[in-house]
Amino acid sequence: MARTILIVDDHPSFRSSARRVLEAGGFAVVGEAEDGASGYAAARDLRPDVVLLDVGLPDADGFRVAGCIKELADPPDVVIVSSRDPSDFGPLVAGCGACGFVAKADLSGDAVAALLP
Amino acid sequence: MSAAGLTPAKRAAITAIGFAGLLGVAWTIVAVLTSSHASPEWLILTLLLTIGSSFTATGMYAWARRPDSWFGLQLSAVGLAWFATALAAADDDLLFTIGVLVGSLYAAVIVHALLGFPTGRLRSRGERVFVVSVYLLCVVGPLLMLLVTAPDPDLPRNVLLVDANDRLADVVDAVLRGGSLAAAVGATILLVLRWRRATAPERRLLAPVLWSGAATTAGLALSLTGQLLNLPGGVLNVFDFAGLFVFASIPFAFVTGIVRANLSRGQSVGRLVARLGDAEAGRGAASLRDALAIALHDRSLAIAYWMPAGGPGGSAGPAGAGGERDGAGGRYVDAAGQPVALPEPGSGRSFTEVEREGRRVAAIVHDASLDEEPELVRAAGAAAALALENERLDAELRVQIAEVRASRKRLLEVVTRERRRIERDLHDGAQQRLVALALTLGIAEHQVASDPEQAQALIREARDEARLALEELRELARGIHPAILTDRGLGPALEALASRAPLPVELADVPAERLPPPVEGAAYFVVAEALANVAKYAAASHAEVIVQRVNGHAVVEVRDDGVGGADPEAGTGLRGLEDRLSALDGRLAVFSPSGRGTTIRAEIPCTS
Repeated sequence: MARTILIVDDHPSFRSSARRVLEAGGFAVVGEAEDGASGYAAARDLRPDVVLLDVGLPDADGFRVAGCIKELADPPDVVIVSSRDPSDFGPLVAGCGACGFVAKADLSGDAVAALLP
Repeated sequence: MSAAGLTPAKRAAITAIGFAGLLGVAWTIVAVLTSSHASPEWLILTLLLTIGSSFTATGMYAWARRPDSWFGLQLSAVGLAWFATALAAADDDLLFTIGVLVGSLYAAVIVHALLGFPTGRLRSRGERVFVVSVYLLCVVGPLLMLLVTAPDPDLPRNVLLVDANDRLADVVDAVLRGGSLAAAVGATILLVLRWRRATAPERRLLAPVLWSGAATTAGLALSLTGQLLNLPGGVLNVFDFAGLFVFASIPFAFVTGIVRANLSRGQSVGRLVARLGDAEAGRGAASLRDALAIALHDRSLAIAYWMPAGGPGGSAGPAGAGGERDGAGGRYVDAAGQPVALPEPGSGRSFTEVEREGRRVAAIVHDASLDEEPELVRAAGAAAALALENERLDAELRVQIAEVRASRKRLLEVVTRERRRIERDLHDGAQQRLVALALTLGIAEHQVASDPEQAQALIREARDEARLALEELRELARGIHPAILTDRGLGPALEALASRAPLPVELADVPAERLPPPVEGAAYFVVAEALANVAKYAAASHAEVIVQRVNGHAVVEVRDDGVGGADPEAGTGLRGLEDRLSALDGRLAVFSPSGRGTTIRAEIPCTS
């Protein structure tokens, strides 16, 4: 069975591209959210296997949203995504509970799958 | 001596007083020497002439010296009223009666003059009521006495006598004596109160006149009390003599005060010059203020420095802003460069402006009483003019530095804000498009073997994405610094700007030659910001852009026919422009009357 994934990003154009890429890569996209609050709610309600989480959300910093999601009971894996380079964030990625980082331009089903434990 | 305000009418009035005084002298001599009832003749003559002429002459001098004050006139009136008492020496019945009738008038006038000193104007309603009562007492009182009293047989006849009635006369006499005593005590109290309420500089001015005046009224009160107590005649004579002596001293006290002021003025200014010389080493606004405060004996003294408009801190608006005095294009600031307001008339404070080589330098803000010694303040101001000018330049510099500091800080804020905006624009715009482009190409790559048609469609999509990304980058680069401005100059850059504007923009008069790059940049962004504002807020149908070179300045004007009412303080855009311009010593003005369109005008010096 395909793994389920939730996309949290404030740019609609990225969400639609990501949905196509991930579905082509073998994921089942179960939802999209445009900010931290709705992303957290969707992660809690939809119970996806993976959350693809953007760093620069309009209402919150993606790292903090990741921390909140990881506190859910039986939390999903979180993959941080950004158009910036991971080096721009220093130790934040490792410290937030996410299992990895993927640059937006390098996003693919394989890239996400490779990060999952 | 200042003759400012000495109008021809006042000059004529003073001359007339002089003639009246001469007439008074002549009449007094004739009347007393020919009188059959005035004795001892020589004593009476000496008293009448000395007191009458000294008051009249001193009053004329005082009036010529301070034409704005009524005190001089009042002093002369005392002298003339005093001469009028000589009518009572006449042997003619009518003149004798008039003489008795007006014989006390001088007392009312001297009370009026003393209470009004030095301006000649009474200060309160209470004082006015008091003075009117004293006048009534001094005119109506003798009239009532004359109606019921028959003079001694060896005096001329009282023509006003209706019916000699000794009992009625006694009553009237008692009432008059009581009233006079009350008036004398009241005047003394008012004079003492006046002294107690006076500020220190005021007291120096008031001292001689006020004290001789208070002594006179107090002496009169004593003499009247003595009469009520039926003291022996010898004592009363001493009281009367002392009273007359003090009364006669008032004009001399006044003149003494002026002489003393003149002397102390010379000394004060001399010491001021010496102190300023010493102060040069440890120069400073505080020591200059102190030196002037000491010279003018006014510890509350303050200095306001004149800041001409167009200098630093001059508002870029069409008129000098701030509630400071006058439209001569400037304002007053303190030594720290903060705007100050000069005192209003009637506030107890006053000011004297100091000029140097025809230019306004500063204003000395002082106690209003120093207005009575304008020569002193002016002389001190003249002596300190150079030092004041130095301090003024210092204050100007401080204003300038504060201005530069504030604008530097704002400029930094503008730069930071701009960088943040550019980063945001890049992130939200071109970067997102390039991400989408990469992702689309990734999918296409996967599908090129399995579904070449789908892959082709994706590649087309990717190309559109790339084109849009390029367009956004171009727009952004233009916002940072338009290439056309660097390559081709202001005219073509403004044409491009006008062609992209969402409303018709007419471009008039752009200089063909190149200007220094910072000037071109500033001019371009003034127009860009102004047109952006027109599009956003003005609801205009048309805008006009003019760039001219005037006196070494590039003058940029953007006018629209919109709703007006723009507030240059409200938006960050115009403020940022102002700072950008001030870095080039340029200025920005916004004229935006409600309903009559907006004109934004920038003046940028073209020094390269």
